[in-house]
Amino acid sequence: MKVRLIHIKSIHNKIICLLLTAILFANISFSQDSVSIEKRAIAMQLAFYKKADVTKIIIATVKGKSISNKFLPLKSMKVNFYVQNKNDQILLNSALTDASGKATLDVPKIIPLDENLNFTIFSKIENDSIYQNAEEHVHFKDANLSLILLPKDSTQTVQATVTEIDKNGNIIPVKGKEIKFYVKRLFGIMPAGEDFTGTTDETGVAIFSYPKDIKGDETGSITLIGRIQEDEFYGNIESKAIAPWGMALAIDKNPFPRALWEPQAPFPLIITIAVLFGIVWSFYIYIVYQLRQITKEGIPSVKSTNI
Amino acid sequence: MDIENYNLQREIDTIREDCLRPTRRWGRNTQIWIAILLIIMSWALFCYIHQLRSGLGVTAMRNYVSWGLYISTFVFFIGISHSGTLVSAILRITKQEWRRPITRSAELLTFVSLLFGGIMPIIDLGRPDRIANLVIFGRVQSPLMWDIISICTYFCGSTMFLFLPMIPDMALCRDRSIVTTTRFEKFKKWLYTKLALGWTGTKSQWHRLENTMNIMTIVIIPVAVSVHTVVSYIFAMTLRPGWNSTVFGPYFVAGALYSGSAGVILGMAAFRKLYHLEKYITLKHFDLMGKLVLALTLIYAYLNLNEYWIPAYKMATGEGHLLKDLFFGDYSKIFWTLQFGSVLLPIAIMSFPKGRTPLLLNITCVIIVIGAWIKRYIIVVPTLLHPFMPIQEVPNDWSHYFPNWVEFSITGGCLAGIFLVITLFAKMFPMMAVWEVEEGVQIEHDKLVAIEIRKKREAEEEAKLVAYQEATKNAIQL
Repeated sequence: MKVRLIHIKSIHNKIICLLLTAILFANISFSQDSVSIEKRAIAMQLAFYKKADVTKIIIATVKGKSISNKFLPLKSMKVNFYVQNKNDQILLNSALTDASGKATLDVPKIIPLDENLNFTIFSKIENDSIYQNAEEHVHFKDANLSLILLPKDSTQTVQATVTEIDKNGNIIPVKGKEIKFYVKRLFGIMPAGEDFTGTTDETGVAIFSYPKDIKGDETGSITLIGRIQEDEFYGNIESKAIAPWGMALAIDKNPFPRALWEPQAPFPLIITIAVLFGIVWSFYIYIVYQLRQITKEGIPSVKSTNI
Repeated sequence: MDIENYNLQREIDTIREDCLRPTRRWGRNTQIWIAILLIIMSWALFCYIHQLRSGLGVTAMRNYVSWGLYISTFVFFIGISHSGTLVSAILRITKQEWRRPITRSAELLTFVSLLFGGIMPIIDLGRPDRIANLVIFGRVQSPLMWDIISICTYFCGSTMFLFLPMIPDMALCRDRSIVTTTRFEKFKKWLYTKLALGWTGTKSQWHRLENTMNIMTIVIIPVAVSVHTVVSYIFAMTLRPGWNSTVFGPYFVAGALYSGSAGVILGMAAFRKLYHLEKYITLKHFDLMGKLVLALTLIYAYLNLNEYWIPAYKMATGEGHLLKDLFFGDYSKIFWTLQFGSVLLPIAIMSFPKGRTPLLLNITCVIIVIGAWIKRYIIVVPTLLHPFMPIQEVPNDWSHYFPNWVEFSITGGCLAGIFLVITLFAKMFPMMAVWEVEEGVQIEHDKLVAIEIRKKREAEEEAKLVAYQEATKNAIQL
């Protein structure tokens, strides 16, 4: 019996020892976790845009890995933009990301180019306390897109021309580029029809006919937009032209007529209420005036008699 | 009245003393009563804070019944507020001499019920901090806007209507108040002085006061009628079964007058008993007020018949569901109890002179007032539970409504508030318009004097005639 008891005790001791060891290791692993915090992953995309006013911008979109392992836009993240100059990288500027995780760089008019007249811009996230370092770059060549209205017949045709400058400074056409045609609307752009693309020929020209039933402004003007989108050599290029091809918009001068069910009440109702209550309140004002007169008449001769 | 031994000045002094006596003493019973009211109001405040913090979800109101006990009480209080207009203004215009001792309590009831009636819709708001938006972004064509404008106008008007006849009484209180070392007495003295507006009773002041009171008496009647008409528009201008009625305006006004007059009788009886005013508020007052309430109940019954009989004859689909529920369904017991108990039974009781004695009349008025309150509930809630689009696929409790403890507590707090304001007013100011009662006594005295003089003249002339006839007779004989 005694031997058995000793045996049971020894089993208990072993279990306790094992538990203690497990707890100890567990603590060590927890503490190690707490000491070495791994920086979170980051994802960055870079896009180049040449706008209709010939200004150029680079937009870096930054997303970071959240606790739930999803990549979400990062706000107020500092992004450094560099340009490649031969073997060096020159810092152009830094920008903070907005709520949608986007940081924008206005590209200077003159930037270093390589022997093929391409420019390379890097965006970098460096030394952030929470997120890992990240780097992305774009490598594009400058090109021009122009829109010219063709006033032939009654067709509403636009001619888009894509050109670039060669090493000798000559303007040369760019062949085989797909151009998408849009119309500007109040809150965005609308594709100009079901098939709204055109491709440049050997002369760098693409012809596109706009539909005739597009609604314009009061004068019938519409803003045509031509775009080269996400091209592997040129990025995004946009051009605009204003054409009198739209249907003139007849603006309703009185979109909310005065009515019981509209925001503005009918005048007869306002006048009736104002007159009725105006009469009552004018009597009130008269009574207050009379009370004031009573006070004025009484003040000099007030004598409080204490009983 | 023996005119020879009648001392008018002594009578006036007695009236003054009887009216001012209650304002001098704050007995233990009053203090206990105020304490009870304050406890009820504190509990209601606690409940309201709970409602504010947790939202209207703590009440029994849900998506369909968004106007429950609070709005029913609002309509009831606005109805009660008509009492002051009716008793005071209409009786003043028609020069009813018996009105004099009861006008103050009627006007006070109007003021207090409007004060708390106006609070009820704010309590019904989930976000009362947005109340200013009603004014800032309010639409003039909305009946809610009309309601705000007319209730504010009526409140200002009835406050003036209460205050104007108080001015000479305030001067009397000011002149008779005893200045002691206590702060409260000093405060009272200061308050009376301020409210008396320097009244000294000059001819010019009397002229101005009578002028303003005449104006207010005429102006307040259409304003009061407009208020309850507009309150009815909140319902009647909504396309809902039960509310889509052209008779709602006069129906609400008649209902308000009928319940308000009953409220006046209860107030009159309470002050008569508590302040020992039996000498001034006599059985004649109960009899006449009883006749008035009887007439108003008959008008109300007539409109009630129109309100239910016409749609019941047609039984259009939407109205039909509601009316079946009222006549035979969940609300039938309460509906028929109201029709018989608070309309037909009071008519039967008050038609007989014995039914217009204080005890029976007070019991009848209690029934009318409670019935009027429940009637407002019956107008508001069943209609909300019978929308044109059937209630479906919602939690079961959304299709029923009965106020819960939060709503009862807050409404009870408002009722306690009404009693508290009335109590404080009655302990601070005379509950009868002293000068008006004095004026009545003076008029009565003058009438008696005139009768006495006429009698004397008649007697003298008769004596002269007899003497003349006697002389003529003697002359003929000679």
